[in-house]
Amino acid sequence: MLVVAIFFIGLPSVATNFQTFEWAEVLIFAIAIMGLNLLVGYSGQLSLGHGAFMALGAYTSAILIHRYHVDYLATIPAAGLLTGIVGFLFGIPALRLSALYLALATFALAVVTPSLIKRPVDLTKGTEGIVLRAPVPPFGLQMTSEVWLYFLTLGIAAVLFWLAWNLVRHRPGRALRALRDGEVAAAASGINVAGYKTLAFGISAFYAGVAGSLYGIATAYVSPDSFPVSLSILLLVGTVVGGLGTIPGPLLGGIASFFLPILSQQWVPTQTWIPAQVASAIEKAGPAVSYGALLIAIMIFAPNGGVGLIRAGYGILQGRLRAGDRGTGQAPPDAQTI
Amino acid sequence: MQEFMQQVVSGIASGGVFASLALALVLIYNAMGLVNFAQGEMAMFATFIAFTLVDHGLSYWIAFPLTLVIAFAGGVLIQRIVIRPVERAPVLTLVIITLGLATLVNGAAGFLWGYIPRAFSSPFPVSTISIGGVVASLQDLGVIGVSAAVLVLIYLLLQHTTIGLSMRAAAHHPEASRLLGVRTSWMLALGWGLASAVGAVSGIMVAPVLLLEPNMMQSIIIYAFAAAVLGGIESPLGAVIGGVIVGVTVNLAGAYLPFVGGDLRLAVGLAIIVVVLILKPNGLLGRPSVRRV
Amino acid sequence: MPLLELEAVHAGYGPTTVLHGISLSIPEGGIVSLLGANGAGKTTTLRAITSGVRWSGDIRFSGRSLKRMHTEDVVRAGIAHVPEGRGILTELTVDENLKLGAHLRSDGAQVRKDYDRVFEYFPVLKERRKLSASTLSGGEQQMLAVARALLMRPRLMLLDEPSLGLAPIVVRAIFEIIRTINQTDHVAILLVEQNARLALEMSSDAYVLEVGRVAVSGASADLRGNESVRRSYLGY
Repeated sequence: MLVVAIFFIGLPSVATNFQTFEWAEVLIFAIAIMGLNLLVGYSGQLSLGHGAFMALGAYTSAILIHRYHVDYLATIPAAGLLTGIVGFLFGIPALRLSALYLALATFALAVVTPSLIKRPVDLTKGTEGIVLRAPVPPFGLQMTSEVWLYFLTLGIAAVLFWLAWNLVRHRPGRALRALRDGEVAAAASGINVAGYKTLAFGISAFYAGVAGSLYGIATAYVSPDSFPVSLSILLLVGTVVGGLGTIPGPLLGGIASFFLPILSQQWVPTQTWIPAQVASAIEKAGPAVSYGALLIAIMIFAPNGGVGLIRAGYGILQGRLRAGDRGTGQAPPDAQTI
Repeated sequence: MQEFMQQVVSGIASGGVFASLALALVLIYNAMGLVNFAQGEMAMFATFIAFTLVDHGLSYWIAFPLTLVIAFAGGVLIQRIVIRPVERAPVLTLVIITLGLATLVNGAAGFLWGYIPRAFSSPFPVSTISIGGVVASLQDLGVIGVSAAVLVLIYLLLQHTTIGLSMRAAAHHPEASRLLGVRTSWMLALGWGLASAVGAVSGIMVAPVLLLEPNMMQSIIIYAFAAAVLGGIESPLGAVIGGVIVGVTVNLAGAYLPFVGGDLRLAVGLAIIVVVLILKPNGLLGRPSVRRV
Repeated sequence: MPLLELEAVHAGYGPTTVLHGISLSIPEGGIVSLLGANGAGKTTTLRAITSGVRWSGDIRFSGRSLKRMHTEDVVRAGIAHVPEGRGILTELTVDENLKLGAHLRSDGAQVRKDYDRVFEYFPVLKERRKLSASTLSGGEQQMLAVARALLMRPRLMLLDEPSLGLAPIVVRAIFEIIRTINQTDHVAILLVEQNARLALEMSSDAYVLEVGRVAVSGASADLRGNESVRRSYLGY
């Protein structure tokens, strides 16, 4: 935990401006994934449409800044709140849908999002998009825009991470986990299933809205094409690959979401066990192919994601250490005759 | 009135396209309880194959069935290699795998054929004919005809042949079918192959209208989802009926509702999905499922 | 050579072992019953034969080991298994269920004759041919299961609790037909039954399982006559 904190705080001093900016994007993804993790990993509802919530957050901020000249810092919580409320309202009909149907509906939402953005042209400036100015560090602090952005994002991410952690640790978290493991049983234990599920939707949308807002501010530009369906898929993938339903998962997920498409293309040619023709074909084929293949491979071999792998490794280690204690395996007691 | 009927005919033609892709989704859902998010991309890839065959001089009416055979083989391969290892995995894992597959296939198509849209010439002449005062394009009628023929063939295969029977048995009752000597695992692979071939029909029929490029099927699959959900995700007949209704509705909405226009037709598809799932989640022909505790 | 031989078979589900070394054999054309209380391992034994559960030891059918064979291949080798709960394909019609019984056979003329026999034994199946199998009552479903197994023309039929939940008249009728199938077609039968009396009347030999082991075995006539065996193991 401490190691992670040191790494992140120290990063800008050793990295270039561009790299710092990249890592700010990683953190933005991590924030969105934190939200999605609460929804999918803890309340068991599948959403393939969180890119749409990010879009809502981004455009809220962009419109407030551009049209109404609101200070960009103030737009972040506003975007989050608005998106959170919309998410909560979404959660209400979502209650009636099974996991698969919810995936289907949210997928459709993600695909339709760009065209929904284009429609109200006066507000969103349609395909043109809205251009913003790069954020200026306040109080005359002597740092580049990228570094300031990085720390802003880091600060918000830390706060939201702490918030999520607390939520999960206390009653809401337990309730959500009970939900995920068996709704009927949870309802029978007196948990307000509907309430918690819609709340989960709202909170996860809030996170996505904040992430979207930061995304717009960071890239200083929003357009309908910034939010294609692949963004929603990337978020879900990041959530699962990082480790579903775990606390550190979203951070790994953020890293994975950002770097996986790029790295998978670069990583493949370095693997000597892949025959040369195959490797060069994959490399030329572009990031999508290697990303897709890697994704499938991860789901087949390590479906619990990064945290799962780490835990598994840890577990094997512990098992080896404990092997001395265990006696010879006994067959379990025989079934009793009635 | 005439224009209205024309829109309806056009809508039925689109409906044929949606119905074919929806049928593919239903076939796989029946076999595995899974919605294959990669179905559209697989159909697009098959359409590119058809395009390549025609480009190399094959007549359209030879390339078309040949592509279906290739698509069938592709579907079987995908099931054997990608799906079988994770047959018993939870829904979320399978969904992500199909999403990964969609990404992979899309990227592969982009790599092999590039992203510039290409014209895919239709085998049907561009002219129109007049039936009872309604002018319908031969293109639309051709699409309706081919879609209908394919759907009828699938119906005959599934309901009136032994292998179709084995496939249905394996899909609904995998364990009990094994006890009757049915090779359940292979039936599943056949199901994927069949779905892939039927999906390919959808892609080939729509390509002349939409221009062939890797992202071509991304909106079609939304309409196919709407059709499948409307008809009842377990019902092949529902997929057909749903497809036609969605096709006609979207077309009429685009033509007669000003705020829908050209851009928001896809949103109509989304709206259909949302409305059906809220009001009647099992669709028109689906059966309510019992939730096991 | 016996038709089916189990040799020191262990089987179980996950970490739990249910069978602890079962050995039994079934002669060609014979009827053997497998008895015992609930949880003794009778169903597990049948499942092991058709590879529905992992097992160790050896199981040989006509001398050929069934190790590592998939269920459908064991069935194709000539063993029909009517499982607990009958395994009726309720999404399909009665006729389709029957068709699946016969679908592996290539002797068309004989299949038609067998269809006639099946409808002769179970006229209700002929009446309800086109209806969904889910509309059949429990007894009728059992008839369908047996009819379907007959159509498979197996060399060995495994029957798991055919009398369960059925009225005594229906049970007698079904058992009569099973006996006929055994005598006319020389189909060997391995019969798992809780109704020990009925099973012992039908079978030539019997094995009694207790907690996953063979407690008693022998000719059915001897077991029937042995009062202490009947009291301790068979409940009557």
